[in-house]
Amino acid sequence: MPILEVNNLKKSFDGDSILKGISFDMEKGQTLSILGSSGSGKTTLLRCLNFLEMADDGRIKVNGETLFDGMKTSFSENELRDKRRHFGMVFQQFNLFPQYTALENVTLAPRLANPSKDKIDIERESRMLLTKMGLPDKLNHYPHQLSGGQQQRVAIARALALKPDILCFDEPTSALDPELTGEVLKVIKELALQHTTMIIVTHEIPFARDVSDQIIFLDRGVIAEKGTPSQVIDSPTNERTQKFLANY
Amino acid sequence: MFATVTLALFKGFLGTLKLFSLTLLFSLPLGLLISFGSMSKTAILRLPIRLIIWIIRGTPLMLQLLIIFYGPGIFLGRNIWGSGDSGRFTAALTAFVINYACYFSEIFRGGIQSIPKGQYEAAQVLGLSRTQTFFRIILLQVIKRIVPPISNEVITLVKDTSLARVIAFYEIIWEGERFIKSSGIIWPLFYTGVFYLLFSGLLTLLFGYIEKKLDYFK
Ligand SMILES: Nc1ncnc2c1ncn2[C@@H]1O[C@H](COP(=O)(O)OP(=O)(O)OP(=O)(O)O)[C@@H](O)[C@H]1O
Ligand SMILES: [Mg+2]
Repeated sequence: MPILEVNNLKKSFDGDSILKGISFDMEKGQTLSILGSSGSGKTTLLRCLNFLEMADDGRIKVNGETLFDGMKTSFSENELRDKRRHFGMVFQQFNLFPQYTALENVTLAPRLANPSKDKIDIERESRMLLTKMGLPDKLNHYPHQLSGGQQQRVAIARALALKPDILCFDEPTSALDPELTGEVLKVIKELALQHTTMIIVTHEIPFARDVSDQIIFLDRGVIAEKGTPSQVIDSPTNERTQKFLANY
Repeated sequence: MFATVTLALFKGFLGTLKLFSLTLLFSLPLGLLISFGSMSKTAILRLPIRLIIWIIRGTPLMLQLLIIFYGPGIFLGRNIWGSGDSGRFTAALTAFVINYACYFSEIFRGGIQSIPKGQYEAAQVLGLSRTQTFFRIILLQVIKRIVPPISNEVITLVKDTSLARVIAFYEIIWEGERFIKSSGIIWPLFYTGVFYLLFSGLLTLLFGYIEKKLDYFK
C-alpha cells in the first residue's frame, strides 16, 4: 500500500486555478522530487498536503487513511493538528524560532506533544538528531548565531523530531549562498539513503536526479511528466519539460 | 522650609505614583485585549474598536479627563465617581486607563503584526495549538519589539499624570504650585522637576535593562 495517495487534487485562489487535478502516489521510504518553473504550483501543492492551505477538491490519503476527500473543507483546530501530524515541513526561509537555541527548537514540539514523556529522553533524541545533522557543537546556539546552512539543518532536525510519515521540503536551499547549499543537500541525501520518506521541491536538478526515486514535473498546475529520474530528466517526452530542463 | 517643601512634594508625588502605577496595571492588559479586538476578523468587533481608538488617540487627554469627570453628572444627572478626592482619583484613573490602553493596543497590534507569517506556519506544522503558538512563540518576540515604544509611552505617562490636576486631583505639581501662593516662592516648582527627572531616569534604566535582557536573540 502506498504511504501517500493524492487524487485529483485541486486548488484555486480567487478564481485562479492553481492546482488543476494533481494525482500521484508514493511508497514508504521513497524520495519524490517536484520540479517546475516558478508559479507552477509546487509550494501550493506542499501547503495543501500540510493543510496550511485547504484544497478545494480531490483526495489525500496517508497509510490508507483519508485525510481529505473534498467533501469537508473546514476542520476544527484539533482535527487539523491530527492531519498535519503525518507531514513534516522544511521551509525555504527556515522559520526557526529565534528565542530558542538550536536544541530548544528541536525539543519544543515533542515536549508539547508528549507532556508525559521524560524530558531527558526527548533531549537525548534531539541531540542525536542535531548530531546527525552535523551540528553537535551548535546545540546551545541561537538561530542568529548560525549560518543559513546550519539554520536549515536545525530546521530539518526539528521536523524529524516529530517522526512524521512524510517529510516535505520547499526549496530548502534556495535562500542559501551557493557555498552553503552543499551541506544541506548532503544531509538530505543522507536521509534518502536511510529511506526517509520525502517530498522535495527543488531547483537543484543534478541533486534531484541523484536522490530521487520518482520525479514529478509540474507545469501550470498539472503534472506534465512523472517517472524515474532518468525518464524525466534524461529523456523527457513532454515539450515543456524539455524546455525547462534546457534552461538548466 | 526645605523640609516642609520636600515633605509636601513627596505627598504629591505619592498621588502621581499611584495614578501612574494603577494606570499601567490596568491599561497594559486592557490594551492587549483591545489589540485583539482591533485585529479581529469580525467587522462588528473590529470597526467599533478601531473607531474608539481613533477618537481616543485623536483628541487630547485633557479633554477626555474633563468629559469623563463631568460627563456622567451632566448626562445621567448624577455623579457616578463618588465624592471627594477618591471620586476624582477614580475618574482620573478611568480616563488614563482608557487613553493609555488605546495607545498600548496600537503598539501591541504593530508588534503582533510584525511577526513573520512563517513563525505561525512553522508552529502549525509542528502541531502547536493556537494558545501554545501565542505564548511559546509569538509573545516574547512581540515583547522584544515593543519594549522601546512602550518605554516611550510609559515615560510620557509619568509626565501626563500632571494633567489630572484639571479635575483637581492632587499630584506633585499641584503641591509645588501651592507654595507660590502661600509663601511666594517658586523653587518648589523646579524641585518637582527633579522628582520627574529622577523617576523617568529610573524608568529609562529599567527599560534599558529589559532591552538588554532580551538581546540574546534577534
Ligand atoms: N495565498 C495565495 N493567494 C493567492 N494566490 C496565491 C496564493 N498562494 C499562491 N498563489 C498563486 O499561485 C501560483 C502558484 O504559486 P506557488 O507558490 O505554488 O508556485 P511555485 O511553483 O511554488 O513557485 P516558485 O518556484 O516561485 O516558488 C502563483 O501564481 C501564486 O501567485
Ligand atoms: Mg514555491
